[in-house]
Amino acid sequence: MTDARAAEQHALPVVIVDDHSIFRSGLRTELDAGIRVLGEAASVDEAVALVVAQQPRVVLLDVHLPGGQGGGGAEVIRMAAPQAPGTLFLALSVSDAADDVVRVIRAGARGYITKSASGAEVSDAARRVADGDAVFSPKLAGFVLDAFGAVSGETAESTDELDRLSVREQEVMRLIARGYTYKEVAGSLFISTKTVETHVSAVLRKLQLSSRHELTAWALARKLL
Amino acid sequence: MTRPKLRLVGGVCAGFAEHTGVPVSAVRTATLILTFCGGFGVLLYAWLWATVPSADSGPVGEQALPKSRLVLATETRSPASQGSAPEVVPGNHTNSTTVDAASARSAPVSEILLGVALLAAGVALIAGRLGADIPLAVVIPAIVVLAGISLAWRQFADIRSGAAKRSSALLMRTLGALVLVAVGILLFFVTGEEPDVWTVVIAAVSVLLGMAVVLAPWFIRLSGDLVEEREARVRESERAEIAAHLHDSVLQTLALIQQKAGPQSDAARLARAQERELREWLFTGAGSAPVDLAAELRRIAGVIEEDFAVHFEVVTVGASTQDVPEGFVAAAREAMLNAARHAGGSVSVYLESSPTGTELSITDRGPGFSLADIPEDRMGIRESILGRMRRVGGSAAVRPGPGGQGTEILLTLPAVPSSTAPPPPPPPVPAPRELPFRSSAPVPPVTLDRNGHTRGPEPTHGETTP
Repeated sequence: MTDARAAEQHALPVVIVDDHSIFRSGLRTELDAGIRVLGEAASVDEAVALVVAQQPRVVLLDVHLPGGQGGGGAEVIRMAAPQAPGTLFLALSVSDAADDVVRVIRAGARGYITKSASGAEVSDAARRVADGDAVFSPKLAGFVLDAFGAVSGETAESTDELDRLSVREQEVMRLIARGYTYKEVAGSLFISTKTVETHVSAVLRKLQLSSRHELTAWALARKLL
Repeated sequence: MTRPKLRLVGGVCAGFAEHTGVPVSAVRTATLILTFCGGFGVLLYAWLWATVPSADSGPVGEQALPKSRLVLATETRSPASQGSAPEVVPGNHTNSTTVDAASARSAPVSEILLGVALLAAGVALIAGRLGADIPLAVVIPAIVVLAGISLAWRQFADIRSGAAKRSSALLMRTLGALVLVAVGILLFFVTGEEPDVWTVVIAAVSVLLGMAVVLAPWFIRLSGDLVEEREARVRESERAEIAAHLHDSVLQTLALIQQKAGPQSDAARLARAQERELREWLFTGAGSAPVDLAAELRRIAGVIEEDFAVHFEVVTVGASTQDVPEGFVAAAREAMLNAARHAGGSVSVYLESSPTGTELSITDRGPGFSLADIPEDRMGIRESILGRMRRVGGSAAVRPGPGGQGTEILLTLPAVPSSTAPPPPPPPVPAPRELPFRSSAPVPPVTLDRNGHTRGPEPTHGETTP
């Protein structure tokens, strides 16, 4: 009993934000023991209030949400993040248009995962986000390769360039797009998992900060899934 | 007569050339020459531009054609419409004739009459400027009569073809046009001889009415287009509304079922199939499915998912504009089927179409396969994947998946056949499992048997390390 309570204490505190109660309760039961759900919210306003009150480590955030100014998940991040500095956001989406996902990521989400992912996968992604890593689904990696012109051979020449990917980043993204886990990417490229995480975080930063016009153009033109 | 979709200015010359069979360059030259004759060419051009309907996008897009045929069609189409080779229009010609048959403007009589009228006007203008004594009292009525007859012809053509729904109205308009033209002529004669305030007023009014009659079909067409567009918009917004609702409720539920049931189960498979169908309907729109490699791969994935407990995660990168041979698609299908049959679970399909070529990787997390255990599959793999890829000028490689688990099949097709393309991995004939990894370090020659035990290279297999 005390062990269970101790595990509970060490469990990752999260909040689930989704406007479908079925989905929330489903996800709640599916999440593994290492995740502790502090609460659930169904709209933008509820989510902001809950996040600010509970200060969870990770918010599992649906891209589409009613309420607020109509900005969905992105609005939650913009409103709640300044008042919850220790909180990180992981976008969940039922395979949406890429522009929605990109908007949430540009608002500050640390990753994106589809809703059809299993509970274990969501738990794992939440832990990775809590550890400061970025979570890229294969589709998002594919989108990034497209949007940053990696396919047509555009390569960043310096590390501080925001509009293009470096060779290594492209390699990492290609393998993630093929469904490799970070560990498998590390094994295939003969680098450490930590280095893979660094590259992925760098790509996420570029996705958030780049002013590349293709980002929005691409996102509007195509569906992520 | 219709104006083609791809046009230089208004598509009038190209349309005229296509309709009459005269080379388009000749038509264009004639138009230019006429343009210098007192601007007459421009007048005629503008008139035809306004009256001749634009060609439909054609029935090509209606049915889903195999990619190769579609590409062929667009290829033959583009040079023809650029006007460089008017003879290369067989596919386009049948298209335009069907449009013609349906269109009221099949007979260019009205256009010809109008042209003659305008030509007469132009000639009269030039002659008058050159100092010749032109009997305007004769020329102008002639022009008006020609215009009136052409107008009438046109309305009759509308009635005959059934393009117009209210034929009585059209008939009235036609008769009205004729009467007005006649009145106009009479009044011109009258004004020529003894000018009077009332005759001038009546003449002006009748001319205005005649113009209204002439312009009526154009306005009707315009308003018809407007109504059509509005209806389409209403339909579209209705669809968006339904889509939003389905998206919110049904897709969420389907996602939840998949999440709960795990990728191998029947429930997840059914949910996935439903989700795919729904998504297709929601997002791709009716009948506008793009026929490219990415869409084809998704379609194949859907078909296979129905028969096997497998989930394909298809990621496509780059615009797959390159015309991919059937063999490539068939090999991809075989590789996906192979992964579904022997591995199942989650299979990643990654397609990258870049200017240098097309690369497709299919990665499964199954037990890996040992060709020695499945001799008939060895033939299958060799013939249906490796052989096919070789025949279409590409290459295929089979290697262990990431971390030595599962299988990765890599299909590569260079954009430019052979010579300038990067050297493909070595041909895989003798080895049951060949490992042409592109990364710098060699991959250990490991074979996985069905139980997942790793085995070293066995001499009986004649396995080689690259």
